[in-house]
Amino acid sequence: MKVSLFCVIATALLMGSATLQAADKSTGETLYADACAQCHGPNAQGMASFPSLSGRDAEYITSRLETYRAGEKVGSNSFLMIPNATDLSDDDIANLAAYIADKAE
Amino acid sequence: MSYKPVLRPLSTFIASAVIIGLPAVATANEPELSQTEVLTGLENPWDMAFLPDGTMFYTERCRGLSVRLPDGEVEHLLGMEGTDEYATTADDLVCEGQAGMNGVAVDPDFDENRTVYVYSASNMSEPRTNRVLRMTVNSEFNEVSDRTDIVEDIPYKPAATDHPFGDAGAHNGGRIRFSPEDGYLYVTTGDNHNSEIPQSPELLGGKVLRIDRDGEAAEGNEPPEGFDPRIYTYGHRNVQGITFHPNTGQPIVTEHGPWHSDEINALVNGGNSGWDPKPNMAGRGDCPDDYCGYEPNQTEGMDPKERAAYMPVTDTETYPDAMQPAWKNDGLSQGISSAEFLTGEQWGDWDGRLIVGFMGIGFGGTPVGQRINLIDIAEDGLSVNDVAEMPLPMGAARFRSIVLGPGGDLYTAVDEGSIYRITPE
Repeated sequence: MKVSLFCVIATALLMGSATLQAADKSTGETLYADACAQCHGPNAQGMASFPSLSGRDAEYITSRLETYRAGEKVGSNSFLMIPNATDLSDDDIANLAAYIADKAE
Repeated sequence: MSYKPVLRPLSTFIASAVIIGLPAVATANEPELSQTEVLTGLENPWDMAFLPDGTMFYTERCRGLSVRLPDGEVEHLLGMEGTDEYATTADDLVCEGQAGMNGVAVDPDFDENRTVYVYSASNMSEPRTNRVLRMTVNSEFNEVSDRTDIVEDIPYKPAATDHPFGDAGAHNGGRIRFSPEDGYLYVTTGDNHNSEIPQSPELLGGKVLRIDRDGEAAEGNEPPEGFDPRIYTYGHRNVQGITFHPNTGQPIVTEHGPWHSDEINALVNGGNSGWDPKPNMAGRGDCPDDYCGYEPNQTEGMDPKERAAYMPVTDTETYPDAMQPAWKNDGLSQGISSAEFLTGEQWGDWDGRLIVGFMGIGFGGTPVGQRINLIDIAEDGLSVNDVAEMPLPMGAARFRSIVLGPGGDLYTAVDEGSIYRITPE
């Protein structure tokens, strides 16, 4: 009985974790398609003057988006990134970072 | 069960016709378009040039020149610094920011001389320059040789500045096309975010050059006295599109606007396009790094009309004789790039339309605007009669290059990494 209960709890936790992770990336994917893909490319490969996000981990993406959201300049495209990041919530940034890091692996 | 006919008002019929895509007026003869992906997985494809049998030369901005043969086989001909799968690698050809390998053109007498031309940034000179390279393609289409740099001194932006898109290599122009009218090669260049360049009589940035196959000035160029004789027109900002009117042969260019007013200009030999972003003139004060090209308030949104009044693309107050644009994209800047004319009966009502590609850029409330426009330009090149958006079978993309292929289909290279063929039916 104890074993069965453990299994049920563990399974529920795993399912919950996986579902949450998928939901985060899915929301991030929608956000990315709406706000990022036109410059960084559908596969985050970078285009023209807009840098590739390939190989960037979630921590890097989060840090950059938080910097832009704070209105701080980083690089010559800050004038585009700052207004794009201004209204992002912490969840938006986390979702975007999760999606981009996964996409760019 | 009985059938009861119902008379509907005319407005309902018209609405239904619109909803299901039928023309409300039966006289329209606009083609349905289908698209085929010709190449994908490319890295910033920038330009294409065709032979009559469908052989397609194409450039990738940071990789180099390749050719796709009619059977679909691809040969990589001339690679840039850091590439290794090309038949030849030229380590002086470099890629940075908007610069790299840009335009490609096929010699009108290719059958006899097997010659192609590309526009590329190079570090062979110090500081770097843009060059026009002439090369011979072997009969197997798998090598190029006899490289001759027919133009060596097109300015290149050497270092970053305090401007939007301010990295090195910016405002680099780069389209090259042979005129079917006069047989000369036209080369479009950019202002490098350097306010001295566009009106300079000697510096070749912010210009359209007209040269022969050796890079010498075309006979009949009429720039002002003291100007480099290769200059056909001057006072441009960043010209990335050039084509030729199918009836008059007049060269027509597209020019990126500075947060306002992308322009289409029909060129007049020796003409000034009126771009002069110098500080402390025309009512302006100091500007970041001595370039007023995005002022005022260069990193924040504001009414494009206010910007146009402060920093016009065509400054007719300072230069009353400047060439007037045929069209200004309704006062917006959305990344206007390549230009071409649709010709042939297969295009129906669009036969003879000028088409221009937009890469899109959403800044300060301007819609991104990725699209290809169909433009009925007046024969004198001074106005447009109609502007419409081409209903594309593929989604929106950064339309970098649009070229009419030998079979009458349209080819477009998009920054996303593909080249598509668009077929009218």
